Amino acid sequence: MILNQSVVAADAFEKHLINRKRKKHWGLKAAGFTLMLTSMVDMFSMLVVFLLQTFSSSPEILVTKGVELPNSITPSQVREAPVLAISSDGNLYLDQMLVGKTEDVSKKPNELLQKLNKIKKTWAKSHKTPFTGEINLQADREIKSTIVAQIMGILTSSQFQSIELAVVGHR
Amino acid sequence: MRKKTGLGKKKELDAQLNLTPFIDLLSTCVCFLLITAVWIEIGTVEVKQSHGTSAASEKKETYDLDLVFKDPTEMRLNLKKSGKRVKSFNVKSDSFEGMISSLNTTISANVLNYKNKAIEIATATVTPRSTVNYGSLISTLDVLRKNKIVNIGVLTAKGQ
Repeated sequence: MILNQSVVAADAFEKHLINRKRKKHWGLKAAGFTLMLTSMVDMFSMLVVFLLQTFSSSPEILVTKGVELPNSITPSQVREAPVLAISSDGNLYLDQMLVGKTEDVSKKPNELLQKLNKIKKTWAKSHKTPFTGEINLQADREIKSTIVAQIMGILTSSQFQSIELAVVGHR
Repeated sequence: MRKKTGLGKKKELDAQLNLTPFIDLLSTCVCFLLITAVWIEIGTVEVKQSHGTSAASEKKETYDLDLVFKDPTEMRLNLKKSGKRVKSFNVKSDSFEGMISSLNTTISANVLNYKNKAIEIATATVTPRSTVNYGSLISTLDVLRKNKIVNIGVLTAKGQ
């Protein structure tokens, strides 16, 4: 397939013939345009290679709005589990649903404990293996570490002992 | 390229590649990969919280490490064996980054080579402080994980 009539690598007479042919069709060409297929295919191929390299098949968790995750140089792969999030404005979310203010919840954790128990019961119904106690904890990087520790204490008391702290990976 | 063969008959020698399905396939691939692309890699740092004292009673002959934040630029490391403190290290610097660097050096040079002997840290417990933010806590956990200490716990409010 002739993609484009190139004047490169042609002698003077050939160039003249090509130009004459082009001039002859200028009137017709104005209605359409020639697509540079070679460069387009090159670009597509490079894009496909780049995107295939960055392709990831690991499960993804939704980052709650208002949570800026801390960076980590030793991240592990995310596992599918319930997501508890502490946002920068002090709100606590369980699976994207607002539970309340973190300070209030740490003083009176009954509501959170009830929701966690509900998750455990749902898990027990759908699984035959013992409860693994896994939970993903997302917290804003600027909040006090003691607040996170308090919430971790509540999770531990509710048998969620394998806490996965969500981070942004920088290897 | 055309080549004359025989009595004025012209035969095409160059094979023509049908580009249309090729471009279709590439476009579909690009669209699919762009939609499913993950630009921010979310990972996790696992923390294993022990309930009660079961974790401590299981490991008697191995060393445990306690990391206690005094403030964002100062930390105390307590090396324990069978629950008893055998050595303490103080890590301090002008900045948090400097402290993290010193912590890494202390753990790799002094803790993991205690008395010039390679030791294994069974569990590490980090005690946070209100002046230390969560990002700094994660950086500390990173240092531990970098030094192959994977059984990490964070002292929770109940334990403090």
